[in-house]
Formats: sequence, C-alpha cells, structure tokens
Amino acid sequence: MGDILGLVAKRLGLGLIILLVISVIIFFMVELLPGDIAQAVLGQGATPENLAALRKEMGLDQPAIIRYLNWLRGAVVFDFGNSIVTGASVADTISERFANTLFLAAYAAVIAVPVSIVLGVLVALARNSIFDRVANVATLTSISSPEFFLGYILILYFSVKWGMFPAIASLSSDMSFGELLNRTFLPALTLVLVVTAHMMRMTRAAIINLLASPYIEMARLKGTPPWKVIVKHALPNAWAPIINVVALNLAYLITGVVLVEVVFVYPGIGQALVDAVSKRDFPVVQACCLIFAATFILLNLAADVGSILTNPRLRHPK
Amino acid sequence: MTKKKDVLLKIRNLKIQGYSNESWIDIIKGVDLTLHRGEVMGLIGESGAGKSTIGAACMGYARDGTRIVDSVIEFDGMELTTATEAERRALRGSRIAYVAQSAAASFNPAHKIIDQHTEAPLQYRLKKRLEAQEDAMMLYERLRLPNPKEIGFRYPHQVSGGQLQRAMTAMAMSCRPDLIIFDEPTTALDVTTQIEVLAAIRDIVDQFNTAAIYITHDLAVVAQMADTIKVLLKGEEVEEATTREMLEHPKEDYTKSLWAVRSFESPQRHRPKDGVPLISVRNVDAAYTGGAKVLDDVSFDIYEGMTVAVVGESGSGKSTTARVITGLLPPSKGEVLFKGKPFPADYRDRTKDQLRQCQMIYQMADTALNPKVRISEIIGRPAAFYSGLKGVALKNRVDELLDLIELEPALYYNRYPPELSGGQKQRIGIARALAANPTFIVCDEVTSALDQLVAEGILRLLDRLQNEMNLAYMFITHDLATVRSIADEVVVMQHGKVIEQGPKDEMFQPPHHPYTDLLLSSVPEMDPDWLTTLLEERGIDNVGDAASARIATDDPRVSGTGA
Amino acid sequence: MSVFVILYYTLLLGASCLAAYYKKRSAFLLLFSLTLVSFILGIIGGVAALRIVAISAGLLGLSAMVSYAFREFLIMIAPRNMAKELRTAPLTAAFGMFVIFTVAIAGIFAPFIAPFGEAEVISSAFAPADENMLLGADQLGRDMFSRLVFGARNTVALALAGTVLAFTLGALAGLLAATSGGWFDQVIARTSDVIMSIPSLIFALLMLSIFGGELANDTTSFWLLTGFAMVTGLLVVSAVSERSVMGWVIGLAVLAGVSAVFAGAMLILFNPSEIILILVVAVIYSPRVFRLTRAVAGNVVVMDYIEAAKLRGERTWYLIRREILPNSTAPLVAEFGLEFCFVFLLIAGLSFLGLGIQPPTADWGSMVRENATLISFGDITPLIPAAAIALLTVAVNFVVDWMLYRSSGLKV
Repeated sequence: MGDILGLVAKRLGLGLIILLVISVIIFFMVELLPGDIAQAVLGQGATPENLAALRKEMGLDQPAIIRYLNWLRGAVVFDFGNSIVTGASVADTISERFANTLFLAAYAAVIAVPVSIVLGVLVALARNSIFDRVANVATLTSISSPEFFLGYILILYFSVKWGMFPAIASLSSDMSFGELLNRTFLPALTLVLVVTAHMMRMTRAAIINLLASPYIEMARLKGTPPWKVIVKHALPNAWAPIINVVALNLAYLITGVVLVEVVFVYPGIGQALVDAVSKRDFPVVQACCLIFAATFILLNLAADVGSILTNPRLRHPK
Repeated sequence: MTKKKDVLLKIRNLKIQGYSNESWIDIIKGVDLTLHRGEVMGLIGESGAGKSTIGAACMGYARDGTRIVDSVIEFDGMELTTATEAERRALRGSRIAYVAQSAAASFNPAHKIIDQHTEAPLQYRLKKRLEAQEDAMMLYERLRLPNPKEIGFRYPHQVSGGQLQRAMTAMAMSCRPDLIIFDEPTTALDVTTQIEVLAAIRDIVDQFNTAAIYITHDLAVVAQMADTIKVLLKGEEVEEATTREMLEHPKEDYTKSLWAVRSFESPQRHRPKDGVPLISVRNVDAAYTGGAKVLDDVSFDIYEGMTVAVVGESGSGKSTTARVITGLLPPSKGEVLFKGKPFPADYRDRTKDQLRQCQMIYQMADTALNPKVRISEIIGRPAAFYSGLKGVALKNRVDELLDLIELEPALYYNRYPPELSGGQKQRIGIARALAANPTFIVCDEVTSALDQLVAEGILRLLDRLQNEMNLAYMFITHDLATVRSIADEVVVMQHGKVIEQGPKDEMFQPPHHPYTDLLLSSVPEMDPDWLTTLLEERGIDNVGDAASARIATDDPRVSGTGA
Repeated sequence: MSVFVILYYTLLLGASCLAAYYKKRSAFLLLFSLTLVSFILGIIGGVAALRIVAISAGLLGLSAMVSYAFREFLIMIAPRNMAKELRTAPLTAAFGMFVIFTVAIAGIFAPFIAPFGEAEVISSAFAPADENMLLGADQLGRDMFSRLVFGARNTVALALAGTVLAFTLGALAGLLAATSGGWFDQVIARTSDVIMSIPSLIFALLMLSIFGGELANDTTSFWLLTGFAMVTGLLVVSAVSERSVMGWVIGLAVLAGVSAVFAGAMLILFNPSEIILILVVAVIYSPRVFRLTRAVAGNVVVMDYIEAAKLRGERTWYLIRREILPNSTAPLVAEFGLEFCFVFLLIAGLSFLGLGIQPPTADWGSMVRENATLISFGDITPLIPAAAIALLTVAVNFVVDWMLYRSSGLKV
C-alpha cells in the first residue's frame, strides 16, 4: 500500500503548490493596475493627503510581498479584508452567498449525476442505434447552448407561460426546505441540462472505451451473460473513468453557476463576483476568484485521487 | 492414444464480412472446415489471412463490425448460425473455450486469476466454488505453474506473461470443453518462454483428449502442435493435409513457398588481420533517465564490410546498444569509437558527416516512413541534405537509388508509403539509408515484421548491397535463422550483458555458453518431433524460464566473457 | 378532440405501422416511441404540447431537407476528391455547414443585408415587429434584425480572432514541446497546468477586472499585443535558429518588426477594449490548445521516421513543418473548431454579463442582456440572439463531430 499512499500524497502536494501559485497570480495581478487600489477607490480627484492616509490605512505603504503574505494568512482563515466599495468585511458578504452557491450546485449534482451516468451507460450499450444518434444530437445541442439561453427558455415556459415555478430565485432564511427546492428549481434544472449532456457524453465514451478491451471479449467468449459482463467485468474497471467524469463535471458546474445565478438573480457567490468586477471591488474579486479556483482544484484533485485509489494495478502492487 | 473419429465441428462455406468505408466487404470467402473429436488442427497463414476471424466464428461469435453470412457452422450436431444468442452463449466457456493472444490484456485486471477461472464452472453450475478452486489448482499444477496453490490468488498484473498464458489455458480447461480455440497463444512471448507454454498446452490437450484449433503464423510451432494443418491466404483456403504430409509433400505453390526453409546463406567474411574496427563499442554502460542500468559493460567491434548480428530476447539490451551507437542515448560510462576516433556521445553534437556515416533501418516500415510524404522526397531528402543535390541531379540520384533496391523508378517516384506493400516499404527504408552514402547501417529487426519470402528477398538485397558498397551492418535480431543466413560475427546478449561473441561458424558449433545453448535449442524447428525430442533430451525442467533462471549464477563463463 | 389531435395520432401511428411493415427497424422504434411519449405528453400538456411536438418535428424535417439539399449542392460545386469526402458527411454535419455558411455571409455582407445601421434608433423602445422591422425594436428603439446581422459580424470576428491567437500560441508551443522535450516541455506543461486550474470564466473575469478599466487604451493594448506576438514569435525563432547566433539576431529583428505591424493592424480592426478581450481569451485557451497539440504531436514524435529525421541532423523547424504537421492536421483542424465553440461561448457569456463587448456595438451576448426584461412578459425577443449563439455553436460542433469521427476512424 506504500506505493499508493505515496502517489496520493504526491498528488495532494502538487495540488497545494498549484493553489499557492494561483494565489500569487490572483494577488499580483491586481498590482498591475496603474496607481494602486487607493487611487482606484478615491478616483482621479483625490488629494495627495487623502491618498496617503488611505494607503496607510490599507497597508499599501508596505512592500507587495509583505502584503501578499498578510493576505494569504488572512485567506487561510477566511479573512479577506474589507470591501473597498461598501467597506464591509468581505468574508461576511461572501460566506452566506458561498453557502447558497454550494446548495445550488449540490441540488443540480444530486439530480444530474445519477441520471447522466445511467443514461450514459444505456446509450453506450445501445451504441450506433437510432437512440444513440438522437442522444448524440441532443447532448451536442445542449452543450452548445449558452446557459442563459436554456435559462430563459425555462423561465419563458415554466414560469411565465405555465406558471409552475418562480422565475426569480429570491431566498429568505425562514423558508421551508420544500419551498427552497421549489424556488431554486429552475436554476438547478438549467445546470442539470448542461451538465447532464457533458456527463452523458463522457460516460458513454468511457464505457465504450472499456467495452472494447480484450478482457470484455474474453468474458463474452466464456459465455458470461450480458448483464454479468457489465456488472462484473466492466463496472469494477469503470469506477476510475466515472469518478473522473463526475468530478470534472462538478468542477464545470462551478463555472456554469456564475451565468445561471445572474439569469435567475440568485444570491450566490457568482453574482457577487460579477458585481464586484463591474464595480472594480478588488478585495471581493480576489476572494471570489480564490474560492472558485480552490474548489476547482479540489475537485480535480478528487478525480485524480479517486482514479488512483480505484486502479486495481495500484491497489494490489506486485 | 486412440482418438474417436466422429465429427465435432463442421463449417461449410464460411463467409464473414467486415464493415469499412460504408460498405460490407468479404473478409472470409467461403472456407470449409471439419474437425473431429480430439483432433488438433492448425490454422496457418500470413497476417490478414483471416485466421483469428475464423477462430471466433467457430464459437458462433462475430466481432464488432463483422457479420457471418449464409454459412453453416455445425458444432456437435447443433447449427450455430440459426441458434439463438442464449443457446450459443451456453456453449461458450462450457463446451468451446478460447485462449487469446495477449493474456495480459485478456485477464480482467480487477479480479483475481482464480476468480476468473472459476467463473464459467460456477456460471454453468458444474462445480461448487471450492471444488472449482481445487480443480483450478490441479490444472495449474499440470501446466507446471510455480506455486500452483497460491498463484491463482494473485491479480493478473502480478504474474509474468508466460505464466499468465498458461493460466489462461487452465481457465479454458475449467469446464473440460470439447474444443479450445488457441489464437496465437505464444506470439507475444520470447522463444525460451514459448517452449514451456507449448509443452504445457500440448500435454493438457492430450491428457483430456480435447479437440483444438491452433491459430498461428509460425510454421515450426504449428508443426509441433497440430495433427492436421490448414493453410489460409486472404480469407480463402489454400490446402489442408495432415501435418507430416503437409511438411513433406506440400501441393500448392503458395504452401511450398511458405515451407521453403531459408535457403539463402551469405558466405562468411573474416576480420582483416590488422585493421582498425569501423565501430568499436568500449565498455558501455547505459540507463534510461531514472531507470536501472540497461547495458552493463558492453564491448564489441564491427569491421568494415562485415555483418555483426546482435542476438537476444526482449529486454536484453540489443536495441539500447543501437541507440548508444547512433547517439540517441548517450552512455553513462564507456564510449563508442568510429575508425579509432571517439564518436560524440550525443547525436546533436555530431557533425553532418559523422551523422551521414551511420544510418538506420527500422523494424516497422509502417512507422519508419512518413505516410504523408512522397517516396521521391523520402529518398531525396537525405541525398539533398548531405550532398546538396538539386533538380535533375537529385532526380537522377533518387532514380539510381530506386534501381538499387529493385523498384521501378517511374512507378514509385510519386507514390506515398501507405500505397506500398510491407516488403516495398522496407526497401524504401533501405534506400533512404543508402541515400546518405553511409559506411555503417544499423538494421533493427528489419525482417521480423515481414512474411518469410519477403524477408528473404530483403536479406538478399542487403547482402548484395553490402558486397557492392562495402557496408558494415549491425543486425539486431531474435531470429537465429536470420543470423545463420547473413551474419559474419555474432554477439549474444542477456540482461544487458554480452554473454558470448565470436565468428558465426564458431558460434553454431558447441560447446556454447549455457544461455546461447538454451537460446539455440529453444527455436522451434520444422520437424514435428522436435518438441518431443527436445523435451526427452533436456527434461521438462530444463527449458524456458526455469532453465534461464538457473544459468546466470553458477557458470564460470558468465564472468569470463564480456571483454 | 380537435381535428389536429386526430390528424396527429393518425399520422404517427400510420407511419409507425408502415415502418414496421417494411421492416425499417430503427425508424419504427423511433416513431413508435414518439407515439408513446405523445400519449403521455398529450395527457399532461394538452393540445398545446402536441402542437409543440408537431412544430418541432416540422422544423426538424425542414432543416433535414435544407441540409440534404445543401450537401448535394456542395458535392456538385466541390472538386472531385473533396466531393468524395463530403458524400460521407451526415445530415447534421451538412446542417452545420449550412449554418456556418449563412452566418459567414451575414457577417461579411452585414452593411448590405441589414436594413438599418447597428446603432441607428428608428422607433420607440420595444416596438413590436412591423413591415419595417422584421423582429421589432430593442430597448432603445433600434432594429433587432439589423443588430442581429451586425452581431454576427462583431461577435464572430472577435471569437475568431481570439481563437486564432490562442491556437497559434498553443499549437506552436505544443509542437515545439513535443519535438524538443526536456525542461522546455516540462516548464510549459506546468505553466499550462496552473492556468487550466482556474475556471476559464473566473479567470476571464479576474483579468477583465484588471484590464477592463482605464487600462483599455490604445497604448496598453498595443504593448500587450506586441508582447503576445513576441512570445509567439520567440517560439518560431527558437525552432528556426536553434544554436546559430546569427539566426537569433536576424530572427529577433524580423520578429520585432512583425510584432509591431501585427499590433498596429489589430488596433485598426478592433477597439482597445475588444483587444483586451481577445488577449484574455487567447491567454485562457492557449493552454488547452497546447495540451491537445502536445498529445497529438506526441503520438507522431515517437514514430521511427521522426527519429530517422533527427538522426539525419534535421532542424526542429523542418521536423515540425514537414514531418509532424502533415500528420496532425486532421485532429488540429477539429480542435480549432472545438476551441472556437468554447471561445465563442465564453465571449457571449462575458458580454451577457456586461463585461465583454461594450455598447453600442451590436453583439449577441449583450443583446440578450439588454432585452432580458421582455421575457417576463412572455416575449421571445431576448431568446432570438441567444438562439443565434446556440445555433452557431451547435453548427460548428456538428461539423467537428463529423471530422473527429473521420480522423479517428473509430467505428464506435
């Protein structure tokens, strides 16, 4: 087992290094701005005295490397300083929204993952049939549609025309869970549609790849019934690709969530990021980017670790 | 042993089509086959003859993208083409079993070997799990697998290739089938390993009086295994006869050409008395980055105009030696001398003229020629690159080279490699090497991917060119027949060391180094009694891995040679 | 039961039975499962749902006919060997080509096709369609149809420019990394790993928040463009000159000139904020292109003919140009299409967020955003530009799908 632990540790270490590098990129990119944040906050008309005072207050008189280390130390304990637009603590503004976003992503994932894996396997088994072709065209169409297109279509029909679900996903703390699910159904469905298409295609490809292996043919030639070929011979080897597909698509959800939140005016972190970018509220932008990147890296990490752990060659070393 | 003579498998007018380029094309064009109980039939033919497809069809199985059309496949009185899928499936594994070419890929990596072994008996409710496992261990023992009691509880990747192939044969035996299809079971193995597997397969098939179809391209192998032989060519039958008759009196020209034992033998040349060797490999150690040592103190000389054959099994370091000489892999110790002067270790540091002197011909002509470049440029580029030829002069040079390799210039000048046959491609590869005007050519298994006759043509061509241009060859091969026909000197390698070297006539006369002896004796011969005789002479425990494992330590000559 | 419903089921059932009778297995399966689905849909959604199914089927049939006719048309006008390729194209690919063709025509001849200018206010806000305005007016009273046509030009040109830059940099780096290997390969691979571990939309937002403000001016974008061109050019120069000092000197001199000209030309074509957008996209997507090219070229580099050419003493540039490129064109072309889809969707998304192409330039993404309020009145106007985005992306994907299928030669 030493081998496998070593591999996992190595992969985790690599993930940590990448995260560190990304934090450097996120922090120092802001340094590229002409002037500095203080200038940006106060605008062109600021007096030198005011600027100097604000700089001192924000710690801008210190060298960049010190500020980076301070920022990083704060980020580890989820403290990102104050917003330069509202002056409120970034962590406070973001944390609730982050939870909302995670809820939405989880909602979508709970529906999308089982559905798409089952559909993907079915389509792979029925490959080259008419259903496979229809599924191919349908998934391709779904992947190609921008999230806001799907979102507005759903709003138009489910909300405006048929009045089944609310179009605006406004949340309040005293809602029941059922109410919450109802309110967030349309944004979740939009995400499900996009992610399911991706996941189905990837699952199909993985399964077809697997079914072409000589040991599957061997199993067939041993007289193993078709269901047993799938369950006993294909599935144990399919875990790695399936885990990969799931993790990659959850990571994809994170990007998709930004657009969907804007379409449905959902109070999530994506909406916060977009607002901050247009208001040029850099501490918030940095914080959101770091959180998104960290989640993304974490999921990719999970995919790699998952495929290491399920690889029989690595689990039973020589 | 008496064999029952009732018919087990009857195939009439077998037609199989494959789907390519939007239409169905005949792969097998009406083959008949009759197999009796307990009979072993060898199916033999070159690549693309459709042997494997017929093998699968014997089980009523058509691979993805193929289909069986209006044929009769009758197994023990049951028509497979009209049977339902469930009926056909019920035969597979229980009455007809299959042994695939690559055991490593055909065992499921996720399950233990014994669990895969017992799958069929449990599926057909022939045995209880424990019984089936005991039976498996018994079969492992009969197939002479080491540690028969525990080897089954390992995962496929934890077992070596030769052992895995025997475990697969055991698995095929698990339900005591009436018929086993062996699809090139030893092709991927080294000669010394192959012999054990062959012996094991033959014994077990004999013991249980199982009928078998043995598919291979190797005549000598099929001669050991089969009672009757059927020769196939491009999806059609050429002829069928009992093994002895087929070997002694083949009827058809194609069969005769296959059977013709390599007649070509180049007269042996000898080293000049006081010459400087053209290439001199001196005490070379080499390793791939981060890996263990692949070459260990390798030294040998190659003289101008002579052929040195480097012989060994896979992993012995033959090709690595070639990479060191050509400069692709700088050695970690030692050096390569060219006409007595050191050759820069890395090819990037060599001058154009040094690069020109030393050319290579590759094993796989398919990957050695760029499929998207015309023949005229493939051959013309080195000529233009080294001697700056242009225009008419360049065209004349390419024509001249095409003439040299016996291809009509006008026909081939503007063609692309994928339009040529394997032998023609290999000739183009030779022309490309010659275009540089070299003094030394590395030939890396140049004939092993080719069919017998084509290979002989290439050898004759290489020999002619050597005489005309005074070329030196380093001939990397695992095939001792090739060594016999073209080598002047032989270098035997094992585990990255030179075990023995000397002129060819001495090398083929005993006494040998034990490894050379093992290698020489393991090469199957066209005589149907060869395996029997060999096993009687040496004893079953003195062939294959067991024997080669015994060599390295207890022999004084191991350390004595090398220099 | 309306006449429509009776007609609907009669047609479906009749067609299913015919298909079954003539043993058209797949057609029957499709038709009959559609019938079964219709029973359920009809019960839940009523006549309206069935009507939607019928309309969609009609539309599908129409597009199938268009695709078929367009393919035959292409086969007739194409040269012989290309016609042979085209014959293998499925209807979806033909449909894709037709859409791409239409969008290209609309984009190139936009000023002649569009009845009004892209920023021309001609009526009141959100005026409905009339004989003057095919699709009505937008939130400022500009003609939707004209803006859609101009949008084809602006959005696609931007996405194309971004893709070309990303592709040039990524493909060059990939080819070079595959041929030379060693530390160069390692450094580039690790760098692209880092860039790829930031989600593309997030990274784009981060960069736009920095470069989107006052940095989006002529000077900054000129220097950024020149810098980008220099980096790309350095790869070429290093492959061409290798160890020759003279080669480097001449190469660098030529490169500086070419980069400056390139930056100048780009500034004429696009305004600074668009250039920032193009560069952002290029930086984000070049690692993806790099990874794929590295993999494709990696498969070619292990071939013996590359080894033979290396041993002959050939330069890296020769290896790339004559030996590797001809053997990786097919997957690279398909990858270009795929990258274009990603870039196009990213730019559309950014514009939708109000951070991409800036008004008054007509652009599909921002048109969705500007008219989004109409959706709550049940008006489909904002869906039209969104559908245009989806349509073009689907079209490219269909063509790419066919090319990938052909180039892989897989029978899956």
